[in-house]
Amino acid sequence: MRVEYINPFVEAAYNVLSEVLGVEIKRGNLYLKSATKSVMGVAAIVGLAGEVEGRVLFDMSKVTAIKIASAMNMEELQEFDDLAKATITELANMITAQAVTKLHDLGFRFDLTPPALISGDNMEVSDQEVEALIVPMESELGNIEINVAVRERG
Amino acid sequence: MTASPTNTSVVNPEKVQRIDFKMVSFTLAGKEYGVDIMKVKEIRKAGDFTKVPNTPNFVRGVDNLRGDIIPIIDLRIMFHLPAESHEEHALENIIILRLDDLVLGVVVDTIEKVIGISKDSIQPPHPLFGDINIQYIQGVVEYNNILYILLDVDRIFGKPTHKEESIQHKVEDIQVVDPSPTPVVTAQDSDLDLQFITESLASLAGFYVGPHNRDWVRNRLIQWKADRKAQGQDFQLQAREDTEEFLKGFLTGNSSRFWTEQEIQLLAQNLHFSGNTVSVWNPGCGKGYEAYSLAVFFRTQFPQTGVKIWASDNDLLNISIAPSLAFSEMEVDEFYKPFLVSTKAGFQFSSEVKNQVFFEFHDIRNMNPITSVSLIVARDIVSFLTTEEREKVFAEFFEKLKPEGYLILGQNEVVTQEADWKRIGEGPWTVYQKNI
Repeated sequence: MRVEYINPFVEAAYNVLSEVLGVEIKRGNLYLKSATKSVMGVAAIVGLAGEVEGRVLFDMSKVTAIKIASAMNMEELQEFDDLAKATITELANMITAQAVTKLHDLGFRFDLTPPALISGDNMEVSDQEVEALIVPMESELGNIEINVAVRERG
Repeated sequence: MTASPTNTSVVNPEKVQRIDFKMVSFTLAGKEYGVDIMKVKEIRKAGDFTKVPNTPNFVRGVDNLRGDIIPIIDLRIMFHLPAESHEEHALENIIILRLDDLVLGVVVDTIEKVIGISKDSIQPPHPLFGDINIQYIQGVVEYNNILYILLDVDRIFGKPTHKEESIQHKVEDIQVVDPSPTPVVTAQDSDLDLQFITESLASLAGFYVGPHNRDWVRNRLIQWKADRKAQGQDFQLQAREDTEEFLKGFLTGNSSRFWTEQEIQLLAQNLHFSGNTVSVWNPGCGKGYEAYSLAVFFRTQFPQTGVKIWASDNDLLNISIAPSLAFSEMEVDEFYKPFLVSTKAGFQFSSEVKNQVFFEFHDIRNMNPITSVSLIVARDIVSFLTTEEREKVFAEFFEKLKPEGYLILGQNEVVTQEADWKRIGEGPWTVYQKNI
């Protein structure tokens, strides 16, 4: 993945999460991964298209997802209902959109696809054909892993 | 609500261990070991094995297992561990292993139990496990506060998977270590030394010896032994510093500075490019010195040819510096001046040059979408990959190069599949051209 793409995603994730959750966010060490990876329970996916192609996946446990949705809605949600799902989807959209805006300012053109939310137990994501950058974000509400796989169009 | 339900609902799914690996645990000289249960055929007690002459001392003999004659190996003797003395006709604990087409029995001190663990909890072996050679260890696992060393029985007894890590050699080596020294032993001795060095380099420095660099290592070992002897030291590599010292001279000098004008002209003599644009791949580019040198190489030597350079590295810190690499006037030849601009941070390359170089955070062991390149500059990369990774990467180099494309390796590295390549030139600028 181009070096120039990394920071916009890390910054956008950090900014948006700090702002909407109102808690301290800590960034873990970035690393590369290209193999099947288990998904914690809730995964929001935003596709990228244009000069470059790829996808951004936001991965968290259901407990974390409920806590984040509660914090963003300022009410205590008990289960992962439609409101919670819509909230997590929106969070994925906000972070990706801010990253893409930053990239646009640097001269890179990306388009977004509408986000999709997947939840369930024992899920895996397999993208052996692409190398993904993993950006772990830690907070008192739980951990979110942002999994970015972007490549230049061949 | 009297009891708090949150305690149960906050169970982290990661913490719930999935048991997907079972091992049989046993002891050797008071230490706990484990072996994959899928390799274990059965467990039994037996004794009075039939001796077989002319076998290594760790072969206790053969035993009759319900009509099948199987060899009996004593792991304690094989690993030079103290064996408990036993009465002449006493029965001993035997684990019968089945490895592909081979059934054999191993004698151990005690057999404990079957333990179910999660595969993820197996940790890689640590080079400091002295008793048993690290390459025979599959990993280490903790269970009920006891550390079990998980033995890789396929590698101990099975067929070798990699030529240079062949266990077969080992067994032969052990056989020739015989009380009566003959000239053959000295030849085997130096092979054994090479084997030791090979293992130390792999575990301490992540440097793998193989057909791509064995000649250099062999020659270096001769020199190294002489040097260490003169200093009154053992030649074995004990720590990382030793490996750095040993590998001094292996690494290609000019991959972490800009190429000189002379080097650029020398390289240009051997390369020819056709077409309006060419793609270049530079894995392991570090801070980018090599990638920028390549850009200037094309601008000065092949001005008619447009170039696109994909430079990648798996060190995030270095690769992050690369796109805006700044340096002082001292670091750069007069020859580079037309391509530089002066900034507050120091000299940088002009945007025309920068626009030709694409820096990627990428691990060569993973996939990448780069295709149809005319030149690959991969200096000292393949020596830091395991045998399997290395062959995969070589195959990838071959696949990604255009017909008659060029590959430049480290100054002391050679290709492993000679039939695929034509060698051009000698010395640090040896170039391999892809055969069609």
